[in-house]
Amino acid sequence: MKHARSLVFSSLRLIAVVVGMACMSAHADDYSDVSQLVRAGKLPEALSRADQFLSNQPKDPQMRFIKGVIQRDSGKTAEAIATFTKLTEDYPELPEPYNNLAVMYAGQSQFDKARAALEMAIRTNPSYATAHENLGDIYAKLASQAYNKALQLDGSNQAVAPKLALIREIFSTNTAKTTHPVTTPASPPTSTAPATKAPATVVTPPVASVAPPKTTPAIAAAPVVTQSPAATPSKPLPTATVDSPGAKEVEAAVAKWATAWSARDVKAYLASYGKDFNPPGSMSRKTWEEERQVRIIGKSSISVKVDKLSVTVDGSHALAKFRQDYKAGGLAVSSHKILDFSKVGEHWLIVKETVGN
Amino acid sequence: MVYRTCRARGAAAWLLLSLVVHLPAAAGQTVVKPRAQAAATEPAPADGLAEARLLQVYQLMGSGRSREALDLAEKIVRDHPNFQLAQLVYGDLLSTRMRPVKTLGDVSAAMAAAGAAPLGDLREESQKRFKAGLDRPRPGTIPSQFLEISQKTRHAIAVDASRSRLYLFENRPTGLTLVADYYTSVGKAGVSKTEQGDQRTPLGVYYITSHLNSKSLKDFYGSGALPLSYPNMLDAKRGKTGGGIWLHGTPPTHFSRAPLSTDGCLVMTNPDLDHIIHTVEIGSTPVVIAPQLRWVDAASVKSEGKPFQDVLQAWRSAKEAGSLDRTLAFYTPDFNSYGKTLAQWTSVLKTELSNGQGHGIEIKDLSFLRWTDSADTMVVTFGEVLLGKRTGWTKRQYWTRQSGQWKIFFEGTL
Repeated sequence: MKHARSLVFSSLRLIAVVVGMACMSAHADDYSDVSQLVRAGKLPEALSRADQFLSNQPKDPQMRFIKGVIQRDSGKTAEAIATFTKLTEDYPELPEPYNNLAVMYAGQSQFDKARAALEMAIRTNPSYATAHENLGDIYAKLASQAYNKALQLDGSNQAVAPKLALIREIFSTNTAKTTHPVTTPASPPTSTAPATKAPATVVTPPVASVAPPKTTPAIAAAPVVTQSPAATPSKPLPTATVDSPGAKEVEAAVAKWATAWSARDVKAYLASYGKDFNPPGSMSRKTWEEERQVRIIGKSSISVKVDKLSVTVDGSHALAKFRQDYKAGGLAVSSHKILDFSKVGEHWLIVKETVGN
Repeated sequence: MVYRTCRARGAAAWLLLSLVVHLPAAAGQTVVKPRAQAAATEPAPADGLAEARLLQVYQLMGSGRSREALDLAEKIVRDHPNFQLAQLVYGDLLSTRMRPVKTLGDVSAAMAAAGAAPLGDLREESQKRFKAGLDRPRPGTIPSQFLEISQKTRHAIAVDASRSRLYLFENRPTGLTLVADYYTSVGKAGVSKTEQGDQRTPLGVYYITSHLNSKSLKDFYGSGALPLSYPNMLDAKRGKTGGGIWLHGTPPTHFSRAPLSTDGCLVMTNPDLDHIIHTVEIGSTPVVIAPQLRWVDAASVKSEGKPFQDVLQAWRSAKEAGSLDRTLAFYTPDFNSYGKTLAQWTSVLKTELSNGQGHGIEIKDLSFLRWTDSADTMVVTFGEVLLGKRTGWTKRQYWTRQSGQWKIFFEGTL
């Protein structure tokens, strides 16, 4: 009955994680405070705030994760590896610690270990786009190493380590729901709702971004939901919207964004994002743009398809939810995506990007 | 061999796809290899294992199990980081995770240009190893050269240069039995050595003359060397020059070498050579090196050797009868025995005949190998013992067939 037991055990584990995540909202301020310190470059302060928090909540996965990121940013690679490794042991269901562990290993040119960690990340979360992209880079690096050995080339021209994307905060489907006003149980329209308290927004380029709570007002009150089954960016279906004239414009904006990404037109792609768009974690807008550029230009081909698009418009804010089918080279990831739009002048611009599963 | 392009995304799409699918059947015939006795004491990788695993990788790829193929390839390169062909396949399998791989060694254009020569070599090596796994000698057949091998000779080796393959036989009471075969590299310029420095591997019947320990050799020779008896008496008669043709291993930088890469030696992987070193008998193990082996039924070989057996018995009878004229009739005018001419040999023969008078002659432990190229040659080894005597001489003769008659052009004691 070993099998049954392990099932029970892993279910318990999952519950523990979910409960842990649910508690996160209560600590949202702590997380965002620490993250802001990190963003401001005050790493020692951030670390001591994190440690202070962890002395009371030693198991808290989010803060431990953030601490790992701080250790990494502080150049304490060995400590960061220890932190992320421990997280993978305590919360094997979470893909993010594996991903960051892989980033650490890749930085040390331990590509086999990086590969193993990323494969674990994908095993725990098969549609995890960042891990897929990172793994793609690792495979390419390992292949190039093997080819160099095979052909007895010195490979010094290949010495550049692949730049893998680090995740800065844990994202979970549970917290994702809290950022997803439509599914949030009815809450007073005036309230900033659980959504605003959820700090665990994703920081995963290209599929997610951090948005400060203030950028998600109570959209729960949004009156109209537009459903266009099997819509693609190239030919948005007519919307059934009656009282939402902006919905069509938002659909067009989504299509434009997906088309620019597919065409690897970095300029047009980045232009889809508003000034208010907050890059993931403590990344500066400039760093984020550079990273996106490398990621997009680096691919020989990209295809982004938008499916099951639904748009909710509330004044100058809109929410576009859809299934994103991303393909680049041999990599294909399908994920649930939410784009928050804000209308600036004539244009709908992305202010927040969230991925779910 | 044809490398077929393939479309399937993510699938291990390249390489010999249609060919690989047939591999399981062929693999079923793979001979069981007796472990070297020494294997118990040294943890060295077993002979032939690396190749068997590589072929298994091909098989997994052929059946679309690219993930398992990748895992196995990774193990091989971990065990043998210097196995360049395995690295190439490993690189392809990693690439397959990201993009379709169209050919073995589907590297970037820049890499293909920088490593053009090694890439070509590795593709050749892959082809040789793969084909060897696919086309197995029919059970119960042996190379046509091995007409008679004495039970005193425990092993025999045959090399098929066209296949870059070395076959090891065990001489059982039931006859020669193939026990293992290995990838082997030959000369840069191919085979048919005629002169010193021509970078060719000689063709003919040779014997392992000694064993050189790896400790006494440069790294270049790997786990040791087994010098061969090139030039043999036929080579010498034909005025061939050069020497130092060895069976040896690989340097630490290389697990194996390209099919055509040596200065004339036969080069095997170190684990494979180790097994050969621990198996063969110095002085008596024959090594036949042929451009292409012809495999014939072991049973039919016996009858093919019968006419020559009769000729040899006729030579024995003439000698036994003490008849110099009848005996001399078996020798060619250009006969040679370690530098002695036929005239000088005649006096040796006279003495022998007078010493042996009244005694019968026994031929023991007879072996003869037939080498056919532009001429027809028999390389004969036996013990010649006068009846009633305890000991005699081990003799080697080279016979040639001229206008239907077998004549001796070399004779000497070993």
